[in-house]
Amino acid sequence: MKNLRKIFSKIYDRYIDKIYRFIFFKVNSQEIAQDLTSETFLKGWESFKNGTKIENPQAYLYKTARNLVIDFYREKGKVQIVSADNPLIPDPAPNLEEKAMLSSDLDQIRQALTELNDDYQNVIIWYYLDDLSISEISQMLGRTDDATRVLLHRALKTLKEKLKEA
Amino acid sequence: MTQNELIGKIRELRQIKPRKDWVLLTKSQILGQEETPKFELFPFFKPAYAGLFFLLLLAGLIEFSQGALPGDPLYSLKRITEKAQAVFVSKEEQPKLQLELTSKRLEELNKVADANRVKRLAPALNEFQKTKIVAKKEILDSIKNKSEKEAIKVVKEVAPELNKINEKQNKVYLDLGIGESREESDQTTEKAVVEILINDAKNSTLTEEQKTDLAKVEEYYKSGDFQEAFQLFMTGSLNPSY
Repeated sequence: MKNLRKIFSKIYDRYIDKIYRFIFFKVNSQEIAQDLTSETFLKGWESFKNGTKIENPQAYLYKTARNLVIDFYREKGKVQIVSADNPLIPDPAPNLEEKAMLSSDLDQIRQALTELNDDYQNVIIWYYLDDLSISEISQMLGRTDDATRVLLHRALKTLKEKLKEA
Repeated sequence: MTQNELIGKIRELRQIKPRKDWVLLTKSQILGQEETPKFELFPFFKPAYAGLFFLLLLAGLIEFSQGALPGDPLYSLKRITEKAQAVFVSKEEQPKLQLELTSKRLEELNKVADANRVKRLAPALNEFQKTKIVAKKEILDSIKNKSEKEAIKVVKEVAPELNKINEKQNKVYLDLGIGESREESDQTTEKAVVEILINDAKNSTLTEEQKTDLAKVEEYYKSGDFQEAFQLFMTGSLNPSY
């Protein structure tokens, strides 16, 4: 058990920032992001200690986080986007603390990013922020590498348009 | 904003991070839940308690070893403990201590014989003989080069115990059908002890019975049977404890 804890502790240290950020872009609230992030790691730890074979901890954590965000919106009766046509509704009152951290143009990009649909948002976060490779993203999205490249291209184009609109 | 500038700005969003205190707290809440076990069978297996645990373990083992018989795994520990105790006993008290240990060894030999533990008989006998030789040497050392008065005092203290051991030894040896070893039959100590006892008796006022017994003791002494002389002195009317 001690050894498992040690291994999971390393996983936690390695992915906590990424998972928090990933969730934060989707819920646009520090408090909710913290709750869902801790729940993601708690679920991960429970599976891990009970012997569930987790070959790719990163993919496992992102998947858990995505499911928790979906559940969160479902419970709250909010609209959860699953396709490119239904954008996520951002938190109307983004956390002031987070907002103060970022310069105005960065905050603009953050805001635009939260308004993107789930797939576009994921592919931008994973590729540009979390430095995942195209093949890693393809595996998580269940797409081919080419389809992922196209998705990334469209996501970036949409983000640019959103920024122009703003 | 060009595409590259946009990508650069996106990358800058990496500065969005959770608060460090929250990260640490959450980690301890998730992983720490298992760190408070409901029941610890061996709480002593913590480094802080290691010293105490081993002291208690050692004390327990020493206590348990006191009942060990020659050939038992803990018998060596029992002997080491006794040797350690002997270090703290003064030179004057050594004869008494060694006689006590000899008495213990004889008791062990008796137990082994009673339980018919044939394999342990040899080590038990060996332990008894070795200890008795040490005790007799201590007696001899403690009366050598001492004034008559001091020597008499020592002899009167140790003689009854030595006699008791001799009597019990005779009985156990008889039961086992064995005789004394060569080292055991060395009567130098008995000679010195009897000599002191005879001189002391001669300087005392004796009854007729005691005078008769003393004459017999002297006879044994002159014939070189110091063991018999000692035994007669201790079991007859001359016994200093009477």
